[in-house]
Amino acid sequence: MLHEQLEFRELLLSIVRRDLLIRYKQTIMGFGWAIFMPVLNTIIFSVIFTRVTRLDTGGIPYPIFAFAGLLPWNFFATSLRFSVASLTSNSALVTKVYFPRELFPLSAVLVSLIDFAVAFLVLAAMMVYYRIGITWTVLFLPIVLLVQVAFTIGVGLILSMANLFYRDIKYLFEVVITVWMFATSVVYPVHLVGGRLAKVLMLNPMTPIIDGYRSVLLRGTLPDPGPFAAAAALSLIVLAIGWVVFHRMEFRFAEEI
Amino acid sequence: MPKRSDSSEAPVIFDGVWKKFRRGERADSLRDLIPAVTRRVVRGKPPADELEDGSGDFWALRDVSFEVHPGEALGIIGPNGAGKSTILKLLTRILKPTRGTSSVRGRTGALIEVAAGFHADLTGRENIYLQGAILGMKRREIARTMDEIIEFADLGDFIDTPVKRFSSGMSARLGFSIAAHLDPDVLIIDEVLSVGDMAFQQRCLDRMKLFKSRGVAIVFVSHNLQQVASLCDRGIFLQHEVRAQGAVHDALAAYVNGTDALHDTGAGTTIEITGADLTDVNGEPVTTVEPGTPLQLTVDYEVHEELSDFHLGFVIYRSTDNMVVYDGGIGCEEAGLETVHPGQHLRLRFDFNTHLTRGQYHIQVHVYHNPSHTHLCKYSPAASLGVAESRSYAGVADVELSCVQARPALPHARPVRPASGW
Repeated sequence: MLHEQLEFRELLLSIVRRDLLIRYKQTIMGFGWAIFMPVLNTIIFSVIFTRVTRLDTGGIPYPIFAFAGLLPWNFFATSLRFSVASLTSNSALVTKVYFPRELFPLSAVLVSLIDFAVAFLVLAAMMVYYRIGITWTVLFLPIVLLVQVAFTIGVGLILSMANLFYRDIKYLFEVVITVWMFATSVVYPVHLVGGRLAKVLMLNPMTPIIDGYRSVLLRGTLPDPGPFAAAAALSLIVLAIGWVVFHRMEFRFAEEI
Repeated sequence: MPKRSDSSEAPVIFDGVWKKFRRGERADSLRDLIPAVTRRVVRGKPPADELEDGSGDFWALRDVSFEVHPGEALGIIGPNGAGKSTILKLLTRILKPTRGTSSVRGRTGALIEVAAGFHADLTGRENIYLQGAILGMKRREIARTMDEIIEFADLGDFIDTPVKRFSSGMSARLGFSIAAHLDPDVLIIDEVLSVGDMAFQQRCLDRMKLFKSRGVAIVFVSHNLQQVASLCDRGIFLQHEVRAQGAVHDALAAYVNGTDALHDTGAGTTIEITGADLTDVNGEPVTTVEPGTPLQLTVDYEVHEELSDFHLGFVIYRSTDNMVVYDGGIGCEEAGLETVHPGQHLRLRFDFNTHLTRGQYHIQVHVYHNPSHTHLCKYSPAASLGVAESRSYAGVADVELSCVQARPALPHARPVRPASGW
């Protein structure tokens, strides 16, 4: 069992290394692409929400408010985008060689995590520029990240498997992820939304997670305990369900792909 | 199927395995699924045949059992689509049996498709790490054998070139080379020795034999029956179910004789061959002989139209690879026939000798019309013949090799000590 775990880790690292190499091979910008997208989005939304209309972001300068949201959101969306296609684009391996298939969606998440870490340097630079000091609450950052990773892996496992059986999923995914972003407090504080819609938006586990980053990094407070605990619990449930279902279905992959 | 008492020791056990597949197109987009589900709901539960053996499904494997012990090689042969690759996918856990159990213990090397894990944009070296990891090698282990792998694949300076610039032979060689440097307990090989040129194929086969001598249990699937005969001890002739199982030559014989699609009697034309009978010189039927045994093939012809200036063809093939061992025959005058007439029945006896090495052979007889350069009829296999001996390793002709001490040929090289009795 332990032996299998060790092999699993080696293999996961190999796949991650491959996916990283492929992602930036024959590109001039390389890791620059990991920074480019959130920066571009931040500029666009900053223009809209500071020049066109003003948003109350609770005292945080809008550009860093937006970037601190777009960065983890980008990590989430990219992870899932690569997860969705991870099994189908490796069909030669899925049908020809046996090894743990969850490696593919896992690698999709890990590679995106590396992009996330690179782009995080930009956030650090912005914090220096806006003179936002680091407080002890930054110790809570790994927990926020862990919750996000758990949720992302859970959803990624389910999506990769669903797309293997029904190729509609990857198209459907693009629609859902766009809507989902605006249903999450990525570029605006979600509490500005009122009425019945606010209650629906409360169910979205990504809002407490994204807001958690802002709390521990920019506001120097802990994440809102109630919603964050609920999001953490939901993440673990999704991960557990994803894992179990994935392993239940694994034997049908080679036949159905 | 008799069970061995030490069955729990075998690293490869396939026990009463059945595998069912779905035939036809599967609903793999939601647009197809929704009508399918609706239909099912409206019609109630699906008809029984959709779940059972009816039109929707077919059994790719029916009750297949075997074991492979350390240092043993099992060859699986059969026509295309007989379920051979399905067995390998079950052994490598890619598929799950519908019924029965398939178990492989120990470190398994699968050479199912040697280049499956390659990524075109990565260099040969990067792909070695990746493919090695996929096949279950540790990074340190790969680094240690890296030079050997590159040398075995014979890629030289190309190793740091992206694989997309490789020729197909090169990537296949690299793929096999990686797999050949695994250190497995069980090796599962699917038709991969057919890559590369002849020299490389031979090297691969030698490597497999080395693995075998080191106690690796091997399961080998190939259409190259010569390779199967050369590597394997035991064989299975598979056609969804086990048609023959046992010593590799028996399985091969069952396979080549079981394929009767070759029969072409040329009925209704000028002349027809109605039967053939292979016997020894005493008229006893034979199936397996020693090299050098004189044999007789008695062939019956039925003449439909008047015919002259023809040739009675006689061809021996090695069944495992369809190599022509002998192609000749007898002219009609030599057989004492000038002209044959409609309604005439001929019975001719061909006497020949079997200077062949061990293997499975079959004989084709035909009638050739010289003026029109056409085969009037062909009859194949007229007979099947096994040759059994244990002196040769490979080859086709029994040259009746022997060896004695000989007097030195050159005058200045004097014998040190003449052997007694000279």
